[in-house]
Amino acid sequence: MKVGLEIHVSLPTRTKLFCSCKARGDEDGPNSNVCPICMGFPGSKPALNGKALEYAVMIAAALDCKLSKLTSFVRKVYFYPDLPKSYQITQLSDAVGKSGKLELSTGKAIGITRIQLEEDPAKIIRGDEYTLLDFNRSGRPLVEIVTDPDIRSEDELRDFVAELRGILYHIGVDINEELKADLNVSVDGGERVEVKNVTGIKALSDALKYELGRQNALAGKGQEIKRETRSFDEASMKTISSREKESDEEYGYIYETDLTDYDISRLHVPKPVIPGRIAKEYAKRYKASEKAIREQIMLSREALALMDKAKGRHEMNEIIKGIELLKRYGRLQMGYASFEKLLEAVSTGMLIDEKTIGKIEKGESVGSFKRISDAEIDDSIRKMIMDNEKLLKEYGKNNKVFNFIVGKISKEYGVDPRHVSDRLKAVLDEIAK
Amino acid sequence: MSGSIEEFHSKKAGDGYYERLEAELKKLNAELHAFNNITLLNTGGYPFSAKDNLCVEGVETTASSRILKGYVPPFNATAVERLLKRKFTFIGKTNMDEFGFGTFGLNSDEPARNPFNREYVTGGSSSGAAVATSVMKYHVALAVSTGGSISAPSSFCGVVGFTPTYGLVSRYGLLDYGNSLDKIGIISRSASDTANVFDLIRGPDDKDSTSVSEAPKKEKAKKNLFVIKELLKGETQSYFERFCDKLRGLGYAIGEVSVPDIEKAVQAYYIISMAEASTNLAKYTGFKYGYKNSGFEKGYNEFFTEARSNFGVEAKRRIVLGTFVRSSSVRSKYYDKAMKVRALLTSRLSKTLEKGNIIIPAMPILTPKIEEARQMDSVSVYKMDISTIPPNLCGLPHVCFPYDYAGGMPIGAQIIGSHFSDNGVLEFVQEWEKTFKYKFKYDVGAL
Ligand SMILES: [Zn+2]
Repeated sequence: MKVGLEIHVSLPTRTKLFCSCKARGDEDGPNSNVCPICMGFPGSKPALNGKALEYAVMIAAALDCKLSKLTSFVRKVYFYPDLPKSYQITQLSDAVGKSGKLELSTGKAIGITRIQLEEDPAKIIRGDEYTLLDFNRSGRPLVEIVTDPDIRSEDELRDFVAELRGILYHIGVDINEELKADLNVSVDGGERVEVKNVTGIKALSDALKYELGRQNALAGKGQEIKRETRSFDEASMKTISSREKESDEEYGYIYETDLTDYDISRLHVPKPVIPGRIAKEYAKRYKASEKAIREQIMLSREALALMDKAKGRHEMNEIIKGIELLKRYGRLQMGYASFEKLLEAVSTGMLIDEKTIGKIEKGESVGSFKRISDAEIDDSIRKMIMDNEKLLKEYGKNNKVFNFIVGKISKEYGVDPRHVSDRLKAVLDEIAK
Repeated sequence: MSGSIEEFHSKKAGDGYYERLEAELKKLNAELHAFNNITLLNTGGYPFSAKDNLCVEGVETTASSRILKGYVPPFNATAVERLLKRKFTFIGKTNMDEFGFGTFGLNSDEPARNPFNREYVTGGSSSGAAVATSVMKYHVALAVSTGGSISAPSSFCGVVGFTPTYGLVSRYGLLDYGNSLDKIGIISRSASDTANVFDLIRGPDDKDSTSVSEAPKKEKAKKNLFVIKELLKGETQSYFERFCDKLRGLGYAIGEVSVPDIEKAVQAYYIISMAEASTNLAKYTGFKYGYKNSGFEKGYNEFFTEARSNFGVEAKRRIVLGTFVRSSSVRSKYYDKAMKVRALLTSRLSKTLEKGNIIIPAMPILTPKIEEARQMDSVSVYKMDISTIPPNLCGLPHVCFPYDYAGGMPIGAQIIGSHFSDNGVLEFVQEWEKTFKYKFKYDVGAL
């Protein structure tokens, strides 16, 4: 099987792509953030939002694309009520970026064909007897990410989306709510089927699952898989044939000569942050779990910033633990000086709760940072077991007994119960031997 | 300011001037159809008109197309806005070939009439702008040229038509024909009026990304001129040769250059302009402005197809041909090749322009009668643009001005300069005006 994606990402710019209307603000009511430009009035002309171009360049750079020296736009002509000019301003051969790649967590690279900047059409709201149009959405900036047909399984699809989401998150783009994608799926011997307008990360995976099942079933029966466009119906979780043929021929692409060529090389954009790559590197260099690092930094700028400062100065596993604690209590904004204190506390193995973190933030003492050695804890555990042989017999049958010991000892020493739990398992295993 | 603008202000129009002007124009317009509508705004200043494809806030703007009947733009074109800010008085929207599609001014429901003789064409597509200029004593017209829409009517109506370097005047508020070719220019009765107004409307505009910040060069008329051999033929040839002799007498050196494939410019121009036009006209679906269907209960395809039946014949032809040349199976054969011809011609002409300006006849024929022009098939009409297309296709500044009269009808020549030599070509025409007096049949608004 071969799967390729065309993902539409909505950019978080304040204004629209070619006019100064608010890009967000649906709370203002339908058709309130509009002007002659995004309504396509005769005589109006687009003026490119430089911020949107910067986002597109950052995305292209983060996906290892070759950046076009000069980027330009084209008109894609088709008649549809949501398209005020009857053409969409988009990009083609001089798109912002080309020939890039995204590395999955498995290390496999998925090719990126193209990164292009384009305008969103208006929103169509269909009723039984009517159709409504909301032009608030018309002209919002989108980046389309087109991949090569390199994805080979559902797992890879999920992996791809997770990595992409992390990369976009660190650029400042959240695709959790706004992800829209077209899915190109083909199985061996079959034609390529395009599943259009899939919304949301979960639907994307569901649509692929259904489409693969459908195509494999046809192939299994020796039936032909036709080249077609389908749409995904979320209610029934099925893809449905759209019975519409679209080809590039009909779009009649032509240069958008109301815009000029834009020199991307003159833009100063920050170096891309690729969290998956960072996780790999730190795991190797600081001997920690890649998965654990990935989990902490993928969707958290603050976590990554703290980790970046603390790495090399503290144990990576303790850094991870510290970040985990801050996440649990919603305290990721903690300054670095306090974070260092927290790491000191973590290194003692002491019990850290919300109160402790509060004290650290206020610069108050949290008691002695003397580290209680594992040997000391182990001795206590052994003593407790020996004192009450019944407990040992109950082990394995009764969780309550286990939790009782953990609770008692972690309280006695003021140590993290998870740490005590780890020690208790070790001691019991030793005794069982 | 020198010229008629200064003269107008020094004479001080008295009470009731604008009312009388409006009444007189309306009366004459019933015969000449120079204006699609006469609406006075901002009275008290020097009168200007805008071609009906330039947006004027609150004033119906149709580009002479039925499909835009009733479209009242909520904003001003930048060029219009800049003149209003400088206290110019807007007097109305001038007639034109629908969306700028035409050489003779006949592609309009009510074509404008040539003030020298109503049996003759005005030229197009800025037909009304040239007629209004020819009949009004104090007035400048904002006009638009894509492939010759300023030069052709200026030549046939005996006025001064200036098409600037592409990008010097913002196109914001222009109902586009071919975006890479459209230029807003000025039609007036003298090159000095044009130079003055040009200084007010030119300059970069955030609303038009293709407007440039470079200013036109400060320069005088160049003494070295070149004619293009291939364009010296047809009815106007003998008149033009006599004109060249006159120029030599005035101290100009006139050389000859050959551009063998110049007729390819016509093909390239029509391919590019039609391709662009077919996308620009796609937005007219009768949906949000202009001509409105009743019957929103119809399917969208049916609805807009019905609305689009209101395009005129020439507009429909250009939509069909333009859509065809954009289709991917033939794009490289037509559109891409046309772009190459354009680039080649630009570099070829630029080389000559390094050595001096180019002077050529504006039109290959003397002013035809309306009936004669109506008999011509569309390809023959397109070929009439052979002299006006090269500077337009290459974005070069040029001025069309009267140099002679044949049977009472004016004949125009074009002076072409290199990019940003706008002042140089206007200076040339100012020099010419010192030795040659233009004729006009009317002087509406004279003080
Ligand atoms: Zn807008």
